[in-house]
Amino acid sequence: MSPLLACSGLTMRFGGLTALDALDISVGKGETIGLVGPNGSGKTTFFNVLTGLYKPSAGAVQLEAQDLFARSAQEIGRAGVARTFQRSRLMLDQTVFDNIALGALGRLDLSLLSALVLRGRFRRQLSELVERATALTRRFNPQIAANLFKPAGSFTMIDRRRIEICRALVGAPRLLLLDEPSAGMTHEETRALMDDLLAFREEMPDLAIVLVEHEMDVIRRISDRCIVLNFGKKIFEGPFDALIADREVQTAYLGGAQ
Amino acid sequence: MSMADLAPSLPADTARTGGLARLAVAATVALLFAGGGFLLHAEQQGQVIALLAAFVAVFALAEKVPVGRRIVGLCRAHPGTVNLTAALSILAIAAALREEHYTLLMMATVALFATAAAGLTLQMAFAGVPNFAGAAFFAVGAYVAALLGHTGIPHLLVLLIAGLAAAVLGLVLLLPVLRTRGHYAALVTIAFGLLLRAFLEVNDVLGGPQGMKVKSFSLFGLDFSRVTEIGPYDVSFYLPYALASCALFALAFFLVRRLETSFVGVALDAVRSDEVAASVFGLSIARWKATAFLLGNAMIGVAGALYGMMNGFVNPNSANFGDSLIMLSILVLGGLGNLWGAVVAAVVILVIPEKLQAIQEFRLIIFALLVIAILRFRPSGLMPRAVRDFSALVKGGSR
Ligand SMILES: Nc1ncnc2c1ncn2[C@@H]1O[C@H](COP(=O)(O)OP(=O)(O)OP(=O)(O)O)[C@@H](O)[C@H]1O
Ligand SMILES: [Mg+2]
Repeated sequence: MSPLLACSGLTMRFGGLTALDALDISVGKGETIGLVGPNGSGKTTFFNVLTGLYKPSAGAVQLEAQDLFARSAQEIGRAGVARTFQRSRLMLDQTVFDNIALGALGRLDLSLLSALVLRGRFRRQLSELVERATALTRRFNPQIAANLFKPAGSFTMIDRRRIEICRALVGAPRLLLLDEPSAGMTHEETRALMDDLLAFREEMPDLAIVLVEHEMDVIRRISDRCIVLNFGKKIFEGPFDALIADREVQTAYLGGAQ
Repeated sequence: MSMADLAPSLPADTARTGGLARLAVAATVALLFAGGGFLLHAEQQGQVIALLAAFVAVFALAEKVPVGRRIVGLCRAHPGTVNLTAALSILAIAAALREEHYTLLMMATVALFATAAAGLTLQMAFAGVPNFAGAAFFAVGAYVAALLGHTGIPHLLVLLIAGLAAAVLGLVLLLPVLRTRGHYAALVTIAFGLLLRAFLEVNDVLGGPQGMKVKSFSLFGLDFSRVTEIGPYDVSFYLPYALASCALFALAFFLVRRLETSFVGVALDAVRSDEVAASVFGLSIARWKATAFLLGNAMIGVAGALYGMMNGFVNPNSANFGDSLIMLSILVLGGLGNLWGAVVAAVVILVIPEKLQAIQEFRLIIFALLVIAILRFRPSGLMPRAVRDFSALVKGGSR
């Protein structure tokens, strides 16, 4: 079976800096990849290239049959790649619902005709979306579901991360990219978030997830396979247990590589 | 008595407080419009100053005292009542002042500038596309009215064509505006306004610096400039203009509100507040900015056409930068994204300087102080835009 996502030789240069160095990474349907690496190793850059925010310098990117190399962010988004951001990006003065709706807009009817005249159609889509958003947020925190029409800015940082995850999930993506979703959370909160994610996962067995995470416990629990980046290069790929034992990974993390 | 005993009486109770709330909303809106009507009509400086003081007090207290906050909240919760009361109040003011040329002219001017502000709202408040050439697009509408007004094309159609022409001319600007950002995009529109004005001044077909005459508006054979009575009442010929201008504003208001309370509104807000997030979730930044820019210019063009027909002439000076700034001030002073705010701000900016004529040398100082005071104490404008709340639509709200 061919993988869902296949990147080969993916390279991203910023002037003289090679942030991604000929990466070969593939992700299968329903697979969860733990992506780790020291600060500045290129994890976020990998996501930014995958989602079309940066134009890669070289390589190939394929999502099933679709060629996504150097496509625009919006084409890639519509192809079913959704993400969260390391630094939360929500519209803080809009409601939680409006923020989550953004995740579904790519597949909704956005014609002026239905906004202005065919309101019946719009209302049907709206109430469906409200139901979906309610069900999704309830799963991560019932308090969010109960306050779906409060401004996103009135929630704690942790809830904002949950809202961002819901926004990424509401459009039923094929590939979900999570960039340090547990940053700033306590161990318990992180554990709860991962439980929620795994529970959600049961219902969408085909959803592939790439998770950037510094907490090794989390990586151990959730990932089927781990990939380690260092200076933009893939230095390890395999199961978690092998990662712990790997010499090169240890030196990269202990700073021995410098 | 247990909670269960109380429960059945709840619906009736909320229905009653709902009726009471609506009444309070209607009374507030009617009172505000009555004040506005008096201000439009007031001639003595004393009256004007008193009304201004009342106006400042109302807006200063609206969010400071609990009653004020309560009423503001109620108005936000009952937009249908607000709009209906506003429409009726406007009709009542027009009826009461039916013979007053100058007052009606001001009323029409306020409505048309508020309509232009509705176009700018789409562009700047929703999509985040700056437009410092509002007056230029307004003038384009008026020039189209001048060119087509006497050709026998029905004037409603002329208004539509004027809107189209403004939108099409805006296309020239589209690429540079989409490619640049923030201050640079603003500069592009300023340059466009200056260029257009220079072009109008040297173009003989369009009357050069003298400009052109514009035929008065006629609707289904009724020439507005010849209206002197309606039924048994003598009226000013500005009355039909005032009514038509208000109707045009109502239409613009309807369009903008509908867009705002739809997924298009969410898309526009997303494009303005975070282009990165918007594009990652599949929105085309260019498409939405272009849509808002073109639609907005069309609205400004239609308003400009009716304005030209009412004044009977248009010249290159109509496209001056100062008037573009006035339109922007209306937007900002009213509260970006709130169209009723734009109406109040249009009254402040267009009417108050006229009303202070008698104290010539002081009037601009008073006016400037007023504007500065408003923005000092209400930095997001007189009536900041409310957070969009779709829950009203889902729970079977009326709109
Ligand atoms: N837009 C950019 N322009 C120039 N250099 C960049 C840009 N974005 C990232 N880089 C560089 O690319 C390298 C990889 O950065 P990246 O943010 O991908 O690391 P990361 O693995 O996500 O690190 P962290 O764990 O700190 O989030 C860094 O050296 C960074 O400075
Ligand atoms: Mg990062």
